[in-house]
Amino acid sequence: MLKKRLIGVVTIKNSWAVQSVGYRSYLPLGHPEYVVENLDRWGVDEIIVICIDRSHRNLGPDLSILKRLSSLRLSTPLTFGGGIHTAKQAVSVIQLGAERICIDAVLHDDPEKIFEMERLIGSQALVACLPFSIKSKVFFWYNYRTQKSIPFPKKIYDLFNKGLISEALIIDWRNEGSDNGFDINLIKKFPFKNISLIAFGGLNRINKLTAVLKCSSVVGAGVGNFLSYTEHAVQTLKTGLHQCQVRPSVYLGTV
Amino acid sequence: MKRLNIGIVNYEIGNYASLQNTIHQIGYRCQISHDKKLLNKCDILLLPGVGAFRPAMEAIKKKGLDSFLVEQARHQRPILGICLGMQLLSDGSYENGYSKGLGLIPGEIIPLKNPRWHIGWNNIKILRNDSLFESSNGKSFYFNHSHTYQGPTQYQVCKAMANKAIVASIRRQKVLGIQFHPEKSQLEGKILLKHLLSKIDNA
Repeated sequence: MLKKRLIGVVTIKNSWAVQSVGYRSYLPLGHPEYVVENLDRWGVDEIIVICIDRSHRNLGPDLSILKRLSSLRLSTPLTFGGGIHTAKQAVSVIQLGAERICIDAVLHDDPEKIFEMERLIGSQALVACLPFSIKSKVFFWYNYRTQKSIPFPKKIYDLFNKGLISEALIIDWRNEGSDNGFDINLIKKFPFKNISLIAFGGLNRINKLTAVLKCSSVVGAGVGNFLSYTEHAVQTLKTGLHQCQVRPSVYLGTV
Repeated sequence: MKRLNIGIVNYEIGNYASLQNTIHQIGYRCQISHDKKLLNKCDILLLPGVGAFRPAMEAIKKKGLDSFLVEQARHQRPILGICLGMQLLSDGSYENGYSKGLGLIPGEIIPLKNPRWHIGWNNIKILRNDSLFESSNGKSFYFNHSHTYQGPTQYQVCKAMANKAIVASIRRQKVLGIQFHPEKSQLEGKILLKHLLSKIDNA
């Protein structure tokens, strides 16, 4: 059976890997290459790299960073996001070494473009990045450029329903970067069924990761800087999550 | 000892960089090209793929690579299709309407249902004796697809279990397809890819 994925998430701002806290403060970590290379070596199941300043400044995807990451000869699946607004950009990102792309701003600006992206790279390569908060059972979708939230529109759900997007990265943006902060209601009360979810934002401990990964709609959990701050974090988490259908740690077997 | 020359068929829709990097890592030379003269000198042809079937076949035809690949298979040139590349080896696909494939391995590509995607790490299981896959039986590899092969069992080599069995590998003589991505399956992927490239010509 398919394993649930422990995913390393790398946030990039101004070409630097950063620790993002609640979508508002950013602490530099270093060159993205080092962070991503470590995640690859440690055997996470997937790496998601998101350049958070590209759409904001209308710069398109940061292909130079992607080229540098690709030159690392990664052997871990790579999902790349940030600034991807057109099908042509989506194809470029795939050609440069990403297996999948993450889309966010284009969903706000022009969701019709998803049809052309899907036609060229396939729905399996499309992941929607959805920063959410929940209030009175209503899901609010955060637009990081306007810094405002709106109720999650049905037209975006329809993109899933039509099979154009394969997975949703559900980000607890308010708790992002905080210790054990992920609000599991974002998963349990997610109103739309039959969408495969990746949870991210404030996930760093085995108990919370276990609770999230045991939800049937969850196919993966994203962990950010915690993986870089702790020795053997990937192996420790994978060992602790062995009852959650996570692929066993491979790192120790290679040394 | 002969040094293998591997050609990655470039039809402009694929993860060429990833595959080239992995092949270099496991110690082989390779070149990415759509030049038929150059590809004709290669010992093994790789058909990679991340994308959708129809634009991929259109791109292959536009470059005149469809008849070239069929001719290469006829002359027993080993061909390895990966992910979408495997699907392109079939007779055709129902992805976004029906499109003809290369027709190198009988069978068709149909949409997955319930769930509509097979994304992530899954173990493969060998369905029949095949020395190319024996050492990877039961190992976990990275899959990422929404359509799957359906065809005669005689061409099916490996499967993966989701809600139901999904064909993970197909083979007809020296034409081989693998639905998963060995280039993105960490150590096990490299071991398998190295094994396939070194043995495919004689297996």
